Amino acid sequence: MSDWSQVTRPIPVPNEWTRPFWKAAKRGVLALQRCQSCGHFQHPPYATCTQCVSTDLKFEPVQGRGAIYAYTIMYHTGDKRFASAVPYASIIVELDEAPGALLAGNLLGAEYTDAKVGRRVEIVFEKLNDDITLPQFRLAATERG
Amino acid sequence: MWENRCKVALSGVGFSKVTRSADIPLAAHALVAVKEAVADSGLRIEDIDGLATYPELPATGHAEVDGISIVSVNCMMAMLKLPNLAWHIQVGTVNIGGAVQQAANALLAGVCNYAVVWRAMHNPRGTYQNLPGQYAAGAAQFTAPYGFGGPGQGMAVAYTRWLERHGQSREKMATLAVTQRQHTQHNPHAYFYGTPLSREDYLASRMVAYPFCLFDCDIPVQGAVAIVLTTAERARDLKPRPAYLAGYGQRLHFEVAGRIGSLADYMEGGRSSAKLTWERSGFGPADVDVAQIYDGFSASVIYGLESYGFCKEGEALDFIQDGRIELDGDLPLNTFGGSLGTGRIHGLWHIIEGALQASGRAGSRQVKDANVSFVGASAPIVTGTTFIFSREPY
Repeated sequence: MSDWSQVTRPIPVPNEWTRPFWKAAKRGVLALQRCQSCGHFQHPPYATCTQCVSTDLKFEPVQGRGAIYAYTIMYHTGDKRFASAVPYASIIVELDEAPGALLAGNLLGAEYTDAKVGRRVEIVFEKLNDDITLPQFRLAATERG
Repeated sequence: MWENRCKVALSGVGFSKVTRSADIPLAAHALVAVKEAVADSGLRIEDIDGLATYPELPATGHAEVDGISIVSVNCMMAMLKLPNLAWHIQVGTVNIGGAVQQAANALLAGVCNYAVVWRAMHNPRGTYQNLPGQYAAGAAQFTAPYGFGGPGQGMAVAYTRWLERHGQSREKMATLAVTQRQHTQHNPHAYFYGTPLSREDYLASRMVAYPFCLFDCDIPVQGAVAIVLTTAERARDLKPRPAYLAGYGQRLHFEVAGRIGSLADYMEGGRSSAKLTWERSGFGPADVDVAQIYDGFSASVIYGLESYGFCKEGEALDFIQDGRIELDGDLPLNTFGGSLGTGRIHGLWHIIEGALQASGRAGSRQVKDANVSFVGASAPIVTGTTFIFSREPY
């Protein structure tokens, strides 16, 4: 299992588009940007709805259950901040409620070889500091056996 | 069909040495390549009246110093002191293919007569993707905290999607790496000229970002390549046989910054660019005699072959087997070795090879009857451009 204890993750810097995402995450809630005009969820946040170009966008809570859309297993130690964790799985998750919105994460609490396209995952939260809590993923109970 | 089909031609080509380390300033590499391209056309430097490039350094966390780590239009103007300079541009949205297209447009508009386009690439000392930061701002705030560092991982995630959705295995990619390395042995300018690669070497090589092993990634190098573009009429009076530009396209698919891993984005980008190219040129995939498809990371070739229409989605790794992409195969591919063979110079070398094949100037790697020559000059997703060069002006 990848050892994350020595990893120094770069701290996200919220901006005017992304601040609600990080405020919600701090409360243990996954909130994604949703178009109030056509109902489309999108991630990463954007200035306009990427479907209908409306600017009426709000962040709404989602359940945080979905499937691994894609993944990579990192072996290269060029990024020294993550060198102690290799090999590790970086995954891309598509949520059930937000098709097309792709969230990055790591597969926590599992072997990196457990990362497979289509496997069910659920949200967990990893506190980085007093301001920033990082949405992360673990295998769903049905996958953990 | 495009009214300007075959009205512009690629004439001269030039190459600097390709070295692993930056022992001389990048500007010196670029100057060698440009002078060689001009001489190859039989022109004098003072004949050149148009300049275009895409100067970006794709390595993260290194300073862009003009003449050292990039070679801007300004830098080239300072070195060449062109008395007749009439037009120049640096492009942003579609990599070096965009610079070539802009130069073609300038020639068609009649604002210059002989345009030079170059691509100069630097290999900085230390780690190529230098990511020491404590913070992740902008688009990286949603990727860097999870260890997504360089473009290789971004392409690797789409590749696992492709492999597992289509029930394919990465071992089949050995054929691409080995075939391209064989082609490299016919290209003395390439970094890996003189260094063969076996299937066993590929399969035993260390993993970098699964599914990419070392030989799925082009090696960062220092070097430059350059071309002379001119109107078809002028090109016929120059030294080399011209390669006529039958059509071109660029990706039109909208990209959301920071969104990574979407296989659909690669495919849409490639389809949009190829559609324009087929329509403008009047050719289709079945007409193509030889193809160069950008291979900074090997999986880019999969997305290219499928989205440009050479094979169906999910079939690219089967398509490249059984000698099809060898020099005497049905679709000789990356006949100069590709970026995997030459080193990381981006897509201008693919464009050069596409033109050399069309004009019959590819030497010992010349494909027989290469009348219609296709080029996909960058990864289809963000920076993709596509071109068709033809031997005859039709």
